[in-house]
Amino acid sequence: MTVLRVNGRNMEISDRGDRTLADALRIDLGLIGTRVSCAEGECGSCTVLMDGEPVTACLMLAPQAEGHEITTIEGLADGDELDPVQQAFIEEQGFQCGFCTPGLILSAKAFLKENPNPTANEVAVGMSGNICRCGAYPYIVKAVLRAADAPRAKQPA
Amino acid sequence: MGRYQKDFKVVGHGLHVKDAVEKVTGTIRYGVDYEVQNMLHGKIVRCPHPHARITRIDTGKAEEVPGYIGILTHEDVPQNDWEAAWFNYRGKVLDGVGRFVGDDMAAVAATSPEAAERAAELVEIEYELLPAVFDMEEARKPDAPQIRVEGNERPYYGVSWGDVSAGRAQADHAVECDIFYESQQYAPLGRNACIAEWMGDKVNVITSSQTPSELRDGVHEALGIPLSNIRVQALPSGSSFGQWWSNNFMIITVLLARKMHRPVKIELDNEECMVTVKRRHQERTRGAMGCNADGTLTFFDFDHLIDNGGYGFKDDVGFFCVDMWGKNGHGDYKIHGINTNMLTAGCMRGVGDCTLGASVERCADQLAEKVDIDPVDFRIKNQIVAGDELRMQHSRDNLKGGVDDYIKSVPEHLRKDWPELFKLSSGGTRALLELGSKKFGWKGRWQGWATPTHSDGPIRRGIGVGTGAHVCGVEFEGASNSMVRMNPDGSVKVHCAVGRQGAGAETTQAMVVAEELGLTLDRVAIETGDTDSCPWNHGSLASSTMYRTGWASREAGRDVKNQLLAIAAREFFDDADPSELDVDNGEVVHSDPTKHNQRIPFSDILHELRSETLGQTSSITGSPRVPMPPSTTFARQFGAQFCEVEVDIETGQIKLLDFVCVQDSGTVVNPQVLKNQVIGAATCGAGFAIYEHLVFDEENGAVKNGNLLDYKLLRCADFPHKAEVYFVEDPDPVGPFGARGAGESPIAAGISAVAQAVHNATGVWIDMPMTPERVVAALNAAGKR
Repeated sequence: MTVLRVNGRNMEISDRGDRTLADALRIDLGLIGTRVSCAEGECGSCTVLMDGEPVTACLMLAPQAEGHEITTIEGLADGDELDPVQQAFIEEQGFQCGFCTPGLILSAKAFLKENPNPTANEVAVGMSGNICRCGAYPYIVKAVLRAADAPRAKQPA
Repeated sequence: MGRYQKDFKVVGHGLHVKDAVEKVTGTIRYGVDYEVQNMLHGKIVRCPHPHARITRIDTGKAEEVPGYIGILTHEDVPQNDWEAAWFNYRGKVLDGVGRFVGDDMAAVAATSPEAAERAAELVEIEYELLPAVFDMEEARKPDAPQIRVEGNERPYYGVSWGDVSAGRAQADHAVECDIFYESQQYAPLGRNACIAEWMGDKVNVITSSQTPSELRDGVHEALGIPLSNIRVQALPSGSSFGQWWSNNFMIITVLLARKMHRPVKIELDNEECMVTVKRRHQERTRGAMGCNADGTLTFFDFDHLIDNGGYGFKDDVGFFCVDMWGKNGHGDYKIHGINTNMLTAGCMRGVGDCTLGASVERCADQLAEKVDIDPVDFRIKNQIVAGDELRMQHSRDNLKGGVDDYIKSVPEHLRKDWPELFKLSSGGTRALLELGSKKFGWKGRWQGWATPTHSDGPIRRGIGVGTGAHVCGVEFEGASNSMVRMNPDGSVKVHCAVGRQGAGAETTQAMVVAEELGLTLDRVAIETGDTDSCPWNHGSLASSTMYRTGWASREAGRDVKNQLLAIAAREFFDDADPSELDVDNGEVVHSDPTKHNQRIPFSDILHELRSETLGQTSSITGSPRVPMPPSTTFARQFGAQFCEVEVDIETGQIKLLDFVCVQDSGTVVNPQVLKNQVIGAATCGAGFAIYEHLVFDEENGAVKNGNLLDYKLLRCADFPHKAEVYFVEDPDPVGPFGARGAGESPIAAGISAVAQAVHNATGVWIDMPMTPERVVAALNAAGKR
């Protein structure tokens, strides 16, 4: 039996030897927010966090994720309360079709953990592992900058 | 018409799109995310040859794969032609002939995707190889292998006016061009899948599509079953740009499911999306333009070839540059659609504009350079403004004829409010160029033609400007209808089959109806994909969604309002004239509040309707009650873009430093949505200018870089994040609240701007895509390195 730790819960997945992490999340667990496009680690759509670090789930075999904390897009919101990065993507409309958005948001989470006060140029480079074919890039940069400001805005003066 | 008002409550506001939360939480479901109980999985068997006829199919080995259920071949398929929207596909679903490497030949069904894939690999097909042709010029020759029964080339499509030889004689300066454009790939992020589920003699088709009605028509044509027996449920797609309309794999899914007596899902992998569906045409432009000494154009003469690959059937693209540059008195513009044994070509965002239109832009720039006129001034001098004649009206058998038929079919009394036909009703590039120049600081930055703005070692910077125009939908493919229903609680649902591809139609159509009916956006829901509830709609294509469907949605909303006010007048306002009433925030009010200060909620009026008819009617349904004026004859959208690039003449690498986009799409219904769409177009255009192109195998025409690793797209740091969008809002006399189309003019403008900027940086015109290798080669050839 293969068990993964996903969004804070233990989840049993298929024992198939060829199961990628992306397929385990999508097919076994129904977590369809992990999008698969190129399936060769190039586009970043399937980005999830493993112990807080971004990984492309299409390139990993599911058993490689055993014993690690996996966070998918479904694990970000607290009930109906969106994560500040999700909220910032809405405010700035950092998307069009939305296919790349979960991967971008998770990449942004990891990026902001490393660099909580980035410049716009740093954000643009930091988000370059994820392709947005609709070309919402300037609004993605604005969204990540807004999210970076969000925790500070919440702090008392 | 002229119903434009300034004080909008919903229109013009940057409201969040309706599916924003679904998108950021990953809960939105695309075609690939659906399943149906007991479905099988299908896999298409593909042609390994560029042109071949099946002589034998052996399924012996495939049948041994555990889970194999069956196969669909051309012998199972009705031999009817079907046609996708805008002639993007014309032919039979399967006919035993492969016309490009990767063509659909058969499909297997199995109990799992893996079994289907394995079985498809083991299907053994013997072929009779046929001669193939990949080059457009070769395909035109009389002895070329023939790909289609209609021939490789059909009669050309043309626009001509005045007398080109007289225009040439008047010219003090002229330039000639011969420009070839490689093929761009939609390169969809996100795949597509189709599920077909038969219930008796009816079929339900679930897939990502922007043209649900056209897909239903395609199934109808291919299978010969009644339209009423076909339900398409179109889901949102990933980036589409014209790729996911009605595609052959969807109809294969329908036929495979019918033969297997089980629901079937076919999911295309990323490579299949890139090498078996379609792509932008390869295009070649030869032509000339001339002007007199002060830079006024005297003639315009172009001849274009577009390659349609195996199944495309288009020949009528790119004529919007004719209108835009059509002030001169003498012009000739011909387009020849040609088939080759290559991947089918179809309409990709800005079809024609990005290639033929951009070639005309380059030719115009070369002429402006020759007479040494600033490219902004040259465009202002020679491009049309509202009131000018649209040249596309001339000598156009298939378009002018279609439009004339449409006009004649409308009774005269319904035409009295129409704008003047065959003249531009609103907008133009002049205001865009003036505003954009100011925002970009063009006058201060312009150093002259082929003069860098900055030079440092191998680094050369240059600025450029480009313009683009497009129609706002067309009429001769059919109407774009919309239906609006008000429910007993006074909430409203819009039914318009335009799909959801990320351009925000699910939000902006609802905004138009909310504005018309005096509702807040949260009281207006929308269905964009179900052909069982939506009237026929052309779909999201040809930049028609806001203009033509938006017009229909507003008219349908107006019809609901008229019915609502009539009941309210009778039941609540002492038989007042309904024209004295209005809607406001979900209530019917008297237009003059001093006369009657009642506010009656819509729900009360709907309730009155229900009691009156003993429960038989509890909702109001509205549709357009007048025919739409033929927008092709007067409405255009325009984009102008300004950019600065940096070229490293040692490595040939181009960086985009600055981008200013200016757009005239009439009234902006949702500025946040439109800014995003314009920037997206600029990014896609800039990517086409410097990176994007398919590489075809010279031996067999196969796509060699059909994956996102080898096909390079711009990434976040490749496009200037400070890029800005500005609007000029010249209201349209017909479009909803003055809105026009938007999606396609901005992609063409960006391509031309980047091309010109690179020329100004380096002094060399470089063919696109301007990859580092090509830049280095062009600079070497010109001795500029």
